[in-house]
Amino acid sequence: MRGALVESRLTHGQARQHGRMIDATDARDERLVRACDEAVDDARDTVAALGDARVRVVVRATREDGNETVQTTITVAIGGLSVVTTPADALHDHELLRTLAASKPIEKIRSLPIVWQNGSASVLLHEAVGHASEHGAAPVPWPSWLSVDVPLAPRRETFRDVPLPRMTHLVAWQLGAPFALPDERIDVQLIAGGAYDPVTDVVTINVAVSTAGPFTIQRTRSQIAASLSCAAGEPVRYPGLICSREGQELYVASHAPVMITDPLI
Amino acid sequence: MTDVYRKWGRVIRYENGMTIRVEEAGEATERDGTFRTAPIESPAQTGVSVPHVDSFVAQTGVSVAQVEDFVAQTLLSVQQVDSFVAQTLLSVRPCTIERLIVSAGIARHETNGVSWTEESRRVHISLTNPPLRVLVDQASFDLASIETIANALGRAGHERKPPSPLRLAPNVAAALLPSLTGELAMEQSGGGLDGKGQPIETRAVTSDPPPNWYRPGYTVRPIRAWLNLRALPFGRVDKSAPLAVALLAPVDGTMLRVLCVDGEDVFPATVDATRIAAVSGDAPVWYPYAAGSFGVEMML
Repeated sequence: MRGALVESRLTHGQARQHGRMIDATDARDERLVRACDEAVDDARDTVAALGDARVRVVVRATREDGNETVQTTITVAIGGLSVVTTPADALHDHELLRTLAASKPIEKIRSLPIVWQNGSASVLLHEAVGHASEHGAAPVPWPSWLSVDVPLAPRRETFRDVPLPRMTHLVAWQLGAPFALPDERIDVQLIAGGAYDPVTDVVTINVAVSTAGPFTIQRTRSQIAASLSCAAGEPVRYPGLICSREGQELYVASHAPVMITDPLI
Repeated sequence: MTDVYRKWGRVIRYENGMTIRVEEAGEATERDGTFRTAPIESPAQTGVSVPHVDSFVAQTGVSVAQVEDFVAQTLLSVQQVDSFVAQTLLSVRPCTIERLIVSAGIARHETNGVSWTEESRRVHISLTNPPLRVLVDQASFDLASIETIANALGRAGHERKPPSPLRLAPNVAAALLPSLTGELAMEQSGGGLDGKGQPIETRAVTSDPPPNWYRPGYTVRPIRAWLNLRALPFGRVDKSAPLAVALLAPVDGTMLRVLCVDGEDVFPATVDATRIAAVSGDAPVWYPYAAGSFGVEMML
């Protein structure tokens, strides 16, 4: 926090699955621990440049069925807002966060079309398409110009956890979508969080930063699908999405073009 | 100043159709404002845990035989967890199980020259009868309460205004209690040791900083908290009043969304539980809400 080390945690372990039983211990794998140490060292210079923020670096080195991966995520928080980024994008996203933290709402919250900037539509689709898919929800009609690549794979946060079918990433594209920027609109720049309730089919999105300030959207998937009216450009990387389900937090890289929905407030 | 805390633990957990056995040991230190945690290393680089742990024995002076004996006494077995899960799955046929997590564990703690052992049992079940979902958390393998709630959920009708008076079942009252700190006369129930090895003494809960520390795991920085809250009995609970048997959503401040039973009628309602009219003097039951909360019937 502001350049001082506040917390440091090392966790390691091994899980072996036999049918429907998993045996997990905190066994140490030197190779993976070394990979973590090296990734943390690599992230230090980046973190040092984010001196005005609260920064949390998480390195996960895993080996599953012979496949080794090392993933570094950096959560940067300023003034109650946060982004989740990678070492490659941390400086850019930190600057974006500083800008957003200093911004003020320029209009009142009211029923206006919403322009989803900075790839933030990917969070809407993460809940309405991704989580709905995890729960095997019935399909709803999405616009024909929209494609969403959101594969599911068994994932777990730690060796103590049961693997669940989870999103590995989400990339949304538009092909031939209409686009007309409304004169009166709310521009959404950063999302605080979201949720999908499989019992009610309701998606909740908590907007952290917009031209109308923070607000909450609660609509069914069908209503959200019907509200998607326009999109433009290539998918934009959203600065961070930590997905929490069943208490397991996982990073899901998320991209979406600028999209417009009809009023959802 | 350095604060060192060590924990050896073993847990068996049923979750999402899988049974998982976890053994681990870890250490937390706090020095000059920096909190660090890491697994406790053993020479063989194997899991350091109860019961078959050389380093545990070396560091605590407790023999393997003593530890194994203790483990046997805790009845910690996969069969026991599986048995409860199987019975639960059979008992909630009127509605659907959305989530069922059952665990049993033991942990050995050591800090500030004190060592102690704790056992725990936890059940979390989420039952649905769309559009309703009940949430049940308890610290015992008590099927009866789950069956009662499942049967009520299966008969649930439409939303109604909250009845007055309304009784809160012990499980509902326990979930509410942490939100009533400073609003309702309650005490911290004494017994056992806190996250820093200090005795938990019976104390009136006040707005002063709590005397004890809550440490739910070795990787979590301990915080001051009132432990094992218990509302002090007063007034008379009208046993004929409708009963809120379960939560339909997590407690939000003092707002409760609950499943109510009034004779043959079962319905969801949302109620502001700021004003408590009576607290039963019955023997309380401990629930795993916040840093521990004892539930007895309360009346609004």
